[in-house]
Amino acid sequence: MMANNILLETESLSKHWGGIKALDDISLQFHDRQLHGVVGPNGAGKSTLLNMLCGTLKPTSGCILHQGERIEGMKPWKFVRRGIGRSFQKTNIYTDVTCLENCAVATQRRFAGSFNLFASRHANKPVRDAAEKALHQVGLADRMNTIAAEISYGEQRQLELAMVLATDPCILLLDEPMAGMGHEESLRIIELLNELKKTYSIVLVEHDMDAIFELSDQLTVLDNGTHLITGTVDEVRNEPRVKEAYLGKDDDEEAA
Amino acid sequence: MIFEKRTERIFLAIFFLIALCIPLFLEDNSFFVGKITTILILAVFVMSLDFLVGRVGLVTLGHALFYGLGGYLFVIITPEYEAVNFWIYAVYVMGISALIALVIGAVVLRTSGIYFIMITLAISQMAYYFFFDSLAFGGGDGLFIFMKPETSIFGLSFLNLDNPTHFYYLALLAVLITLLVIKIILRSRFGRIIEASRLNPERTEALGYNIFAFRLISYIIGSTLAAYAGLLFALQYGYVNPQFMTWEMSGTALVMSILGGLGTIYGAILGTITYEGLQYLFEHMSEDWMLFMGGAIILMVLLLRKGLAGYLEKLLEK
Ligand SMILES: Nc1ncnc2c1ncn2[C@@H]1O[C@H](COP(=O)(O)OP(=O)(O)O)[C@@H](O)[C@H]1O
Ligand SMILES: [Mg+2]
Repeated sequence: MMANNILLETESLSKHWGGIKALDDISLQFHDRQLHGVVGPNGAGKSTLLNMLCGTLKPTSGCILHQGERIEGMKPWKFVRRGIGRSFQKTNIYTDVTCLENCAVATQRRFAGSFNLFASRHANKPVRDAAEKALHQVGLADRMNTIAAEISYGEQRQLELAMVLATDPCILLLDEPMAGMGHEESLRIIELLNELKKTYSIVLVEHDMDAIFELSDQLTVLDNGTHLITGTVDEVRNEPRVKEAYLGKDDDEEAA
Repeated sequence: MIFEKRTERIFLAIFFLIALCIPLFLEDNSFFVGKITTILILAVFVMSLDFLVGRVGLVTLGHALFYGLGGYLFVIITPEYEAVNFWIYAVYVMGISALIALVIGAVVLRTSGIYFIMITLAISQMAYYFFFDSLAFGGGDGLFIFMKPETSIFGLSFLNLDNPTHFYYLALLAVLITLLVIKIILRSRFGRIIEASRLNPERTEALGYNIFAFRLISYIIGSTLAAYAGLLFALQYGYVNPQFMTWEMSGTALVMSILGGLGTIYGAILGTITYEGLQYLFEHMSEDWMLFMGGAIILMVLLLRKGLAGYLEKLLEK
């Protein structure tokens, strides 16, 4: 496993809000075809980390390397073009249009020139096919032509994920994708992530411990902006500091 | 079909049918033909604003800057006593306007929200005072157009711009072309990203689009259409002056577009006609017409949340 290439890397990455150290001196490596779990209590800095990895938040100091190149200063849309796609913790979709159109915005960039002022947006089959495929992947195919505001909260979470997949990234940054989904849907997404990690590099922030233990090849624990440990699931579970700071007894027993 | 709504198709069919016939009934009333021509020209201006404000999400209060530029640029670049070709010079005027919009857009689009409103207003006011104070451009009196351009294409000339009826059809053509251009763009792949950027800019950026570029191109398109409207207005009346680019001009156009139904495009035509119609009515009724006008507008905007187009759609859709 460790032989996989490093795709994305942070070096002493920090984000400070005034006096608050949301993230302090984080150095992590994300490998190709691995799922890298990130856990930690609320306010640990998980979302902050993801927001910097996708370019929407600029670090106070430190750098981000993608395939060895520094990218932390680039605009967010350039991150996407380098194959770094992200989903939002707080559902962030186009509520006024259909689910298919939501995904078509994502796929259009891959298959058709978006500066074309004349060609109808509906006339491109690859754009539509790829958008449909993304909806299939997350189990939303039957909602294709429904306005996004009209589907359930759990389904909106699925759509959120479909939109990232539709950008066809190499690196998937997922911020609590399962939060708010029903049990069935969660299982479906876990299965999907298990499949996807064979080809993508995935950074997954998730509260569901069972899911994270099952999926992670590498697991990082953050606490209060600091980096506690990174290792395999077993290494992390047997680390006394982690038990103390975060996981508690219940999770340990459950997972055993 | 670029006209997706039934209401839209019905309105436009009726509008163009009536508009095509109007000069036949008003043949010897060139005052009315001229008046309606002006409304059509304004409708082009308001549609271009409706596109920017309602569809791209750029709330500009400086749109009249380009309306004025359309007139000024024409007078500035044409030789004084020579009838130039209308089409060629229209392209020149629009080309230069596009360049100016590129420069201004590159500055103002770095801001958003209330700052965007402020900076677009500030820039158009600067231009207003520049033309108002400049002797070379005629100061407050502006510049006059001594020779109306000729309109031949490949040596064939159908339109004589000195003839009010001919000018009327030129303005109607401008309405049609502006409408088609905007609707085609909105339906295009470019339009998809414009729509996405308005609905959710953060997400659109996270899907890999440089929304600044999309907004800049839209801003250039909207501004260039406004310049074309300004050019027509200047040609109709034979002059251009700083009043073309007052903030009242921008503000009135915004009211017309809201009245018609923001972002509906065809509503901009409806809003312009209604506004101008009401104004004409009240002007002839009372000295205090501004008061009535204000009251009527407030009432309509309050009662019709989505404008006149929204009201019609409620009646006619499904
Ligand atoms: N925009 C912001 N301004 C100020 N503080 C912030 C901002 N965003 C996050 N924080 C702070 O940074 C810390 C980490 O937040 P976050 O990354 O959202 O945590 P997590 O996702 O792990 O729950 C929290 O203390 C939070 O209050
Ligand atoms: Mg979070």
